[in-house]
Amino acid sequence: MAELGAACIRFALLIAIAGFGVAIHAGLSRRPDWTRVAERSVLVVAVSVAIAIATLFTAFATGDFRLSYVAAHSALSMATPYRLAALWGGQAGSLLLWLFILCMYSSACVLANREKNRGLMAWVVAVLLANALFFLVLLTFVTDPFETFPPERAMSDGAGLNPLLQHPVMMIHPLMLYTGLVGFAVPFAFAFAALISGQLGSTWFQTTRRWTLFPWLFLSIGIMLGGRWAYEVLGWGGYWAWDPVENASFMPWLPATAYLHSVMIQEKRDMLKTWNLLLIGLTYTLCLFGTFLTRSGIVQSVHAFAQTPIFTSVFLGYVAFTAIAFLTALLARRRGLRSPQRLESVVSREAGFLLNNWVFIAILMVVFTGTLFPVFSESIGERTVLGPKYFQMLAGPLALVLLLLTGVGPLIAWRRATAASLRRQFRWPAVATLATAAGVVALVRSQLTPYALGAWSLGGFVTATIVQEYVRAIRSRVRHGETPLQALFALWRKSQQRYGGYIVHLGAVLVLMGATGSVLNEERLENVKPGAEIRMHNLRFDYLTANALPAQHYGGAVARLALYRDDQPLAVMTPEKRMYWLEQQPASIPSVYSTLQEDVYVVLTAIEKDGSATFKIYRNPLVNWIWIGGAVFVFGTLLVMWPHPTRSPARRA
Amino acid sequence: MSKGVQVAGGATIVALLLAWYALANLETGASFSYYKSLAEFQAAQQTETGKPVRVHGYVSLGSIERDVAAREVRFTVQNAPPHKASADAGPAMPVIFASLETPDLFKDGAEVVLEGRLRGGSPPAFVADKLLAKCPSKFEGQGPATADGGARG
Repeated sequence: MAELGAACIRFALLIAIAGFGVAIHAGLSRRPDWTRVAERSVLVVAVSVAIAIATLFTAFATGDFRLSYVAAHSALSMATPYRLAALWGGQAGSLLLWLFILCMYSSACVLANREKNRGLMAWVVAVLLANALFFLVLLTFVTDPFETFPPERAMSDGAGLNPLLQHPVMMIHPLMLYTGLVGFAVPFAFAFAALISGQLGSTWFQTTRRWTLFPWLFLSIGIMLGGRWAYEVLGWGGYWAWDPVENASFMPWLPATAYLHSVMIQEKRDMLKTWNLLLIGLTYTLCLFGTFLTRSGIVQSVHAFAQTPIFTSVFLGYVAFTAIAFLTALLARRRGLRSPQRLESVVSREAGFLLNNWVFIAILMVVFTGTLFPVFSESIGERTVLGPKYFQMLAGPLALVLLLLTGVGPLIAWRRATAASLRRQFRWPAVATLATAAGVVALVRSQLTPYALGAWSLGGFVTATIVQEYVRAIRSRVRHGETPLQALFALWRKSQQRYGGYIVHLGAVLVLMGATGSVLNEERLENVKPGAEIRMHNLRFDYLTANALPAQHYGGAVARLALYRDDQPLAVMTPEKRMYWLEQQPASIPSVYSTLQEDVYVVLTAIEKDGSATFKIYRNPLVNWIWIGGAVFVFGTLLVMWPHPTRSPARRA
Repeated sequence: MSKGVQVAGGATIVALLLAWYALANLETGASFSYYKSLAEFQAAQQTETGKPVRVHGYVSLGSIERDVAAREVRFTVQNAPPHKASADAGPAMPVIFASLETPDLFKDGAEVVLEGRLRGGSPPAFVADKLLAKCPSKFEGQGPATADGGARG
């Protein structure tokens, strides 16, 4: 079986090389028949890679420990779903997953464009195959998932998977994240193809809008699930630590989001062509770079260079090559990209979008600098780490500016806003902002920080602007004889980009407002004997007992605490302290009691020798709103993306 | 003055304000921390007493002692992993971690990063207010699992 997988990768490599050559020839000679041949080679590569990944899945499912990759990342004691998910538990497997998803996207792109964009497709295929080629080379020569042990070293069982990764969310989170990161290859390929072929009209971005929204949605879901997993598994009471791995997935999201906004200016006003191309190039480069960061261990130490010199230099070289090739093409075409339009007023929606873009890029620069600071500083002297405080301090105020723009943008006119229109638009939202601010001050009082006050008040402002937009639009339709519900669905169908976009904004506002709840977090470390109680705020915990966990591939203890609020019984909390035998690794599984108002989060830190237990208890207000906001965000994105066959794509705005 | 210049001017002011805000806060040193190996730290011990630092080392076998009454954990760190006989472990340094909240990966032989300062006296002890333990190296390509961070695959 292992031989089949390895053979498929090598076969795909040969076909990809041939297909790449054919695509270049088709692009230069503008021969449609050669373009078809190149497109077919994409499908052949995809089938071949699909067989390879199926082989590796089979090896994991059947426990084929002749493969060193399977032996290093799974064990017979693990449940089958986790054994399958162990495929992306290490470097070689996750690169194979990357390649597989890239092949699926490439095939879908080829099949969807059989009749469209014929002039671009040869170059699109060339770019997509070039990317596939890189991963095929990597999987063949540098990090081979099908490497086998010599027979004398065959193993009867594997080493197991990091217990922290044995969690339901961890089975889908990497899939979502990769579906997001890899998907930007398609818009990137279209942008690159437009630059090479010189067809710089509106075709490429109209085609790629949905191809951008789709991976963007999955990247957003992936980032949220990562937070959810950290919250449920890592047991430190939080969901986002500005950890390099988290930042690696967040960085491409920023220019991608900026692009989704600024592309609207290109649609309406034919401006910012160069900028939009730059954003797409930046997004994809950061997707590759993020994969490199998480897979090379470079942020943990620059010594990763010394440990895996081939992998790091090949991968970095590829990222640099991608960026430089794209920039060169962009520079070569700069004349054709000049816009006839100029910005007419600083009080206009264009200016708002432009500012929005700059803020996204500023946040990106903050995150990029902070993430790579250990690497920069270690290479010039002392290794210095920038903690979460650095990120919060800089990204926080920038997020407030974004929040303000989210509310202001839709209210000001394109081209030039008048004073009268501004008054009409801002009256009620301004009232709502002040009301929210007053409410927050009255409720929170002492712990309030300027940032939190700003975030919640602006959240109220944005929500009010969205409600106002909906109320006005629905009212005007109701005047023409529709029921309010009919009117709502008509808005979602006929102006899906605008009214779906508002729902996305609402989701983002909820996430930000929920995250701001962290300024009110409380935590306590307590050591108690069974029968004793812990009080915190209006909460009371009665520590009842601790029992041994039923023995399986892990053992350990589970503590039981009765939770009361104002002496009303709420729940029995059961935090666990597990020991995974095979991996020799302990894991604390927190117990969470979650309401819309706050989460109560209990970690069993240790059962002490004297029979007492040490608990870490967190009270995290508003955390649930982050997940609710995430769901609203996804719903809004689906509204924007939903295909409505009755409308012609040309009219979609 | 063209609109482009107006917008650029506005953006510059915002950028300058942010830079000023960042510098003013960063200078307090709240976000910076230096990262030294135990050997480097011990070599510079005289000058380092009392200063906030991050030190990297390995927990000596059998040294972990949880003192529930005093609400602290005491252990010693050394320069090289204890299970590697060949490596030079060097003189061990006693550590007092002023909390009972140890991360899951903290155990005998674990690779740790301590945040805190050296307390003078004899023998001098390192008082840590933060303790991060790293993943064992067999999980390639994964970040440090910490009391306040994440281990990711």
